Amino acid sequence: MTTTTQRTTAGVSAPTAGLASLFVPGLGQMLIRQTRRGLLILGSLVSALGLLAWRVHLIAHRTAGVWPAFEKALRRQPVFVGLVTIGIIILWLWASRDAYRQASTGQPGGMGIFVLIVAIFFVLGWQIGEIDLYKAVTELPDAWPPLSKVLWPWGAAFVRETEEIGASAPILVPCDDNPPAPPEEVAGQPYVMAEPTCGELSSLDENNQIIPGSRLTLTGRGFAPHTETQIWWADPLGNEFRHRQGGEYVTVETDDEGRFQVELILPYRLVPPSAAGRQIWHVEARQVSAVGDLKPSEALTLSVGRMVETIFLGMMATVFGIVLSIPVSFLAARNLMSGSRLTLLIYYLTRTVLNIIRSIEPMIWAIIAVIVVGLGPFAGIVALTIHSIAALGKLYSEAIEGIDPGPIEAIQATGATRLQTIVFAVVPQMIPPFVSFSIYRWDINVRMSTVIGLVGGGGIGFILIQYIRLLDYRAAGIAVWFIAITVAVLDYISAEIRRRFV
Amino acid sequence: MLEIKHLTKIYPDGTIALRDVSFTVEEGEFLIIIGLSGSGKSTLLRCINRLIEPTEGQILWDGMDITAADAVQLRHIRRQIGMIFQQFNLVKRATVMTNVLSGRLGYVNPWASLLHRFPPADREMARRALERVGLADQAHKRADELSGGQQQRVGIARALMQQPRMVLADEPVASLDPVLAHSILGDLERLNQEEGITVLCSLHYLDLVQRYATRVIGLRDGRIVYRGTGDDIRNMTDAEFKEIYGEEAVRVSVGPHAKEETR
Ligand SMILES: Nc1ncnc2c1ncn2[C@@H]1O[C@H](COP(=O)(O)OP(=O)(O)O)[C@@H](O)[C@H]1O
Ligand SMILES: [Mg+2]
Repeated sequence: MTTTTQRTTAGVSAPTAGLASLFVPGLGQMLIRQTRRGLLILGSLVSALGLLAWRVHLIAHRTAGVWPAFEKALRRQPVFVGLVTIGIIILWLWASRDAYRQASTGQPGGMGIFVLIVAIFFVLGWQIGEIDLYKAVTELPDAWPPLSKVLWPWGAAFVRETEEIGASAPILVPCDDNPPAPPEEVAGQPYVMAEPTCGELSSLDENNQIIPGSRLTLTGRGFAPHTETQIWWADPLGNEFRHRQGGEYVTVETDDEGRFQVELILPYRLVPPSAAGRQIWHVEARQVSAVGDLKPSEALTLSVGRMVETIFLGMMATVFGIVLSIPVSFLAARNLMSGSRLTLLIYYLTRTVLNIIRSIEPMIWAIIAVIVVGLGPFAGIVALTIHSIAALGKLYSEAIEGIDPGPIEAIQATGATRLQTIVFAVVPQMIPPFVSFSIYRWDINVRMSTVIGLVGGGGIGFILIQYIRLLDYRAAGIAVWFIAITVAVLDYISAEIRRRFV
Repeated sequence: MLEIKHLTKIYPDGTIALRDVSFTVEEGEFLIIIGLSGSGKSTLLRCINRLIEPTEGQILWDGMDITAADAVQLRHIRRQIGMIFQQFNLVKRATVMTNVLSGRLGYVNPWASLLHRFPPADREMARRALERVGLADQAHKRADELSGGQQQRVGIARALMQQPRMVLADEPVASLDPVLAHSILGDLERLNQEEGITVLCSLHYLDLVQRYATRVIGLRDGRIVYRGTGDDIRNMTDAEFKEIYGEEAVRVSVGPHAKEETR
């Protein structure tokens, strides 16, 4: 038995090797025929130095000179810069000692040096990755409200039909001798009355300080009991805006009999000079009250619809992928294509193209597809089909390569034609891997189609990203739940089918 | 019936598997080819029905050169030559019936057969072939549910479906235990004697050779190094033995049921 623990036969003495590694880390190892070890040490050291220089440059923003920049970086992030610097120095010295020891004892060097290299890169990775465990913990409470909505969104799954009721009263601005009368009360209808029925708007003084306008008392009755009621204004032109007091919207709650009373200060509005004179404003109380039965919310119906779309999107992509990848897989099967130089060339070409296509994520294909065919599920189908052809083409071709040549030989020997040989000897062997890979792909495609909408490829991801952007976390939560349920169910089904078929 | 002239096979990687092999096979013979593994037995048998393309030489089948046959002619020749294999080479996921029926592929309408449609006469024939090898009740099992000996019998039934004039058997019993080996070779012997089917069989063990062969050819490194009858094997000299199996081989015992071992 030969082992690598033999004495090195290189004609380099231990001090030479040690010195060489002191000047160029790893050089000593290379001299004593530990070329790979030497290259690894050299490569790690150079890249660690390069990465440190880059991060120092970023930390010591706009500081000229190497030393000033390093000092500044050391002051700002002492732990990171210090640890990496010390690590690199130790590595350098260790490399030299390692070369010396190996050359003198002939024993192979230990693994310790590689542990150090890994440690240095870990520290670098921590800083480059901007890892901040502290933040992850401290910001959790702020993230909790939206998170909880996503986790349990079902409050927004069903809603009642709502009805808006309201009543308004005219306010004269400014007051004159002839203020408007309160509106007439109609039995059974909500009613509001302002007291007084005229006043001054709030305005700004020369220092942009608000001068409060007149106060008035708004009394309402005939509203729904125990319901939030909003106060709105309508200016003489009919523009509506919600009443704020101290920056906050004003909401009052009605009492047992549907009554309320609230003190208001007339709002501040820019009024064009041409509008000077007698102006009638309106103050209005509005209620939104639920009526009728529970019904599925828009978020729920949309999610269901989009989920169906998603499943079909994945299915169509799978079908197209399977159909198109079959011919491709023949071209990518070495045993079929090793006949001549030309076919071998086609084989290598097909393999290469498939590998390139496969290495590009379906999301990126979706972005490209959206550019070509526009937003919507078709773009998603195109993207997933492309990726499926490449993935299935590879799997199928490997299945073809793995078939047992024995039965083929036997069928050929009976005098069968090529086609008969394929049908009787090749196809039966292909069915199990074919079914298994196809179902596996269907599974992946539906999974992918749930997120392909994030970039405009249709399906449930399309509305999910919109809900997230609108900060409608409950609706987003419903979409997320549907995705999770579908994927889980599909997982189960595909495993079950594969188990039965294969 | 079969005449092999100066057959040479060189694989693309340069391996010379057969060197200038010549012999003839007469109708009704039970010809056994012996030789170490790697001596070229499989290559020789596969050259005969051109599962492997010979590099040089001629193979005459009733005077017609197989090596020069076009696709249609080759099909016609192949279907007259049944073949059974060491690894049985059944389509494992197909039923026994389908495997047996596939022996008819050289005869039936190629297009109909693609839909697994076979004439009723062929199905009847398949049933009889299975009956003959004692597997009538296994017709609808999957081939890989059968034991090794049963699988080889299915292989024989498949070959029978070709109504062959000759059967090529490439170490048909090498994967089976000795008792089964005798029963499989016995089946072949019956075909040979009762139906006059010529058998060309490669074997490893000499005691089987003595029992079944009417004629023997010894191969070593792709060359024919021994020619004799079944009786000659019984009286084989050590020199002849070493010629076939090499200097290091040891004959474990000598006698009517001698067993040989090679190292
Ligand atoms: N496809 C092949 N490519 C290259 N060499 C092969 C191939 N098949 C067999 N050989 C070589 O040809 C020689 C004869 O093999 P084979 O005919 O299988 O011998 P046997 O059947 O007697 O064991 C061996 O040296 C083997 O390695
Ligand atoms: Mg062999």
